[in-house]
Amino acid sequence: MIKKNVKGTLAGLTTAALIMPTLAMAESGGERDWDIDVSLILEGFYFNEVSSGNQTPAGFSDHDHGHDHGHDHDHSLSDGFNLGHSELVIESRLGDLLDGTLLIGFDEDHIEVEEAYLVTRALPAGFQLKGGKFLSDVGYMNSRHPHDWDFADRPLVNRFLFGDHGLQETGLQASWVAPTRTFTRFGVEVLQGDNGSFNRFMAAGGGHGNGHDHDHGGGHDHGHDHGNGHDHGHDHGGGHDHGHDHGGGHDHGHDHGSGHDHDHDHDHGHGHGGAPYSQQSAPRLFTAFVKTGPDLGPDHALQLGASTGYNRQVSRVEDHGHHAHALEGDAWFAGLDLAYRYDAGRAYGQGDWRVTSEYFHVWRNLDEHVEHGSWEKRESHRERQDGMYLEAVYGVAPRWQAGLRTEALGLTNKVVDFHPTEVESLSTSYRHSAQVTFRPVEPVFLRAQLSQNDFAAAGGERDRGLELMFQVNVALGAHGAHRF
Amino acid sequence: MRFMRNRGVGALALALLLSLPLPALAALNIVATTASLGMLANEVGGEQVSVTVLAAPDRDAHYLDARPSFMAALRRADMLLEVGAGLEEGWLPAAQRGAANPAVNSGRETHFVGASILPLRRSITMDGPNVGHVHAEGNPHFNVDPMRMASLGEALARRLARLDPAHAEAYHARAGALAETLREQTRQLAEGVAEQRIVVYHEDLDYLEEWLPVEVVGYLEPAPGIPPSARHLGELVGKLQGTEGRVLYASFQPAKGAEFLQRQLGWPATSVALEPQTPTLEGYLALMRDWVDALDAR
Repeated sequence: MIKKNVKGTLAGLTTAALIMPTLAMAESGGERDWDIDVSLILEGFYFNEVSSGNQTPAGFSDHDHGHDHGHDHDHSLSDGFNLGHSELVIESRLGDLLDGTLLIGFDEDHIEVEEAYLVTRALPAGFQLKGGKFLSDVGYMNSRHPHDWDFADRPLVNRFLFGDHGLQETGLQASWVAPTRTFTRFGVEVLQGDNGSFNRFMAAGGGHGNGHDHDHGGGHDHGHDHGNGHDHGHDHGGGHDHGHDHGGGHDHGHDHGSGHDHDHDHDHGHGHGGAPYSQQSAPRLFTAFVKTGPDLGPDHALQLGASTGYNRQVSRVEDHGHHAHALEGDAWFAGLDLAYRYDAGRAYGQGDWRVTSEYFHVWRNLDEHVEHGSWEKRESHRERQDGMYLEAVYGVAPRWQAGLRTEALGLTNKVVDFHPTEVESLSTSYRHSAQVTFRPVEPVFLRAQLSQNDFAAAGGERDRGLELMFQVNVALGAHGAHRF
Repeated sequence: MRFMRNRGVGALALALLLSLPLPALAALNIVATTASLGMLANEVGGEQVSVTVLAAPDRDAHYLDARPSFMAALRRADMLLEVGAGLEEGWLPAAQRGAANPAVNSGRETHFVGASILPLRRSITMDGPNVGHVHAEGNPHFNVDPMRMASLGEALARRLARLDPAHAEAYHARAGALAETLREQTRQLAEGVAEQRIVVYHEDLDYLEEWLPVEVVGYLEPAPGIPPSARHLGELVGKLQGTEGRVLYASFQPAKGAEFLQRQLGWPATSVALEPQTPTLEGYLALMRDWVDALDAR
């Protein structure tokens, strides 16, 4: 709501410009265009794991080998107080031409440029180009930041198919808004493909390793060994090295103990004679989406979306000591999303409804290669996985909202397992959450959320866990308007 | 036969071509964020414009979603009319960006912002602590002042005349007539209102002071955008105990605080609309009469 002008800080520049009349002429009238909006989103959590269940859903942990995965969620919360996912957002305009956004995400021990992009504002006929690092516009939740969510955590389908930050990539997006009464927007994206294997534990990109060492070692070892029990004799010690360190000795010290090991482990497979396939060059990931929303009058608003994406090379290598397996191929996803809003027309959101749902399905066409001294190609397999969620939030009283969310991950859950190499059909995992949110003033919300995880393990056994979260989220400064 | 058929096709193509609206001849497609601005566009633009209003008249224009239908309307707009001063800050920038239409970009001549043309009253938020609403440029609810609306209509005519010089005279003439009607109505209605003190819910009705003999002596909200608290209402009652006046609040604002004052002070509480039901002069004149009817007559 605030427009912070940097006129003051630019006063010196303007003075300098006035010395040079020609430059001053060029600047005149442009001063207004140097608005910079800066906002800081601060978030805190109090987390309590009431009862502990399986930590990762079957088919979405690192090949379910029975190594101990401990708490390997990247953004996992520890019992007690946690600094959540905070953000510094800087938005500015280059006159009429471009909008620029820089979004830096941070927590206690980790800072990352989450988004840094430019969007055109001057292209005619409904066209828009976006370039840089950004959150893909596929689906509904993917491009939204935690501050904008109705629940304290990312939906499972988004987190386990696209990653802890969603499908967040460097690349280009072109979109077109049709000049129709019913809002319709088409878009395509060409993305680097660093995290696009559509299952975050199955690293993409031709043996690059891509830093999917979700290693959270020390301290979070809760010993949830629910796997299949083939421990292949690796020393996974305290460090959960799920990575792609194939014996070359470049283990980049995965025992950090405090999460966020985003190492780019470039050590691929020396111990086993290189990768059995040639690496495709980036960009590797291509997406397309369409969003449409009819005019339903002042009370109702609806947006429907469909999206698809293709990664031309995904792979994973599994080192079994005396031999190794590799799977390599391409991957597709397709999804549908829906966002419905009811505006009751009463103050402070009382009586309003927000209903959101998404479904995504992933296919991976993979060739198996086995190495006993040299790589040998075997059969082809098709993996399929999917997931969905449905959430509804209601304004129970002025400034108070309550919501329910139900999620399923792996309704179809067909992934390759070795010994024998075959496509296994794993069980479905579920999560059910309830939240109550209070907004004392507009930029602040307090939320209590209770989640029951009903995750299947690879062996099929289920184990329920119950988590309680208290969230505080504050937006300071000039935080931009939220999209629909 | 063949020749005939070709001529037939040609004639059909020509007819189709002629039936397509040519940009130069088509009405100027104006999107207004509120019904009051829509009224100005309709009255000043006349037949040369076609007007779409985004915010329904019974909704609080502070709190709307950047819904798909808004983006669709802005996508096809030749011109955008905005109140400004932060009123639409929570949703309009997102809708403008989503529309992918340079004509509605902030800073363009086709983006008309009332608050940057008119002198505004100070907003409480300019002095108060930084919570709730922030309107650093002033109080954005100038649509409650018909005199300012008359001036804004004239400013809109000047802007339309620059964009569409062919109809400049018509724009100026219509804006002049509109201003005259509004000023005349203002004078007449003001004469019928007794001097009185009022408490309003939000600073949205402050502009009544500009043309009616009323004095705003308190707000039900402790600060703009913050709902009434028991403590604040108690203080208000303490301050106003034993005096006379009225309580006004907008139809979308909760009645509880106003009813509390009515019980405690005996001040009649009335809910009023803030925007015309139809974006026309007729609708706006009816709104002016509603405001006056909610007050004590002379």
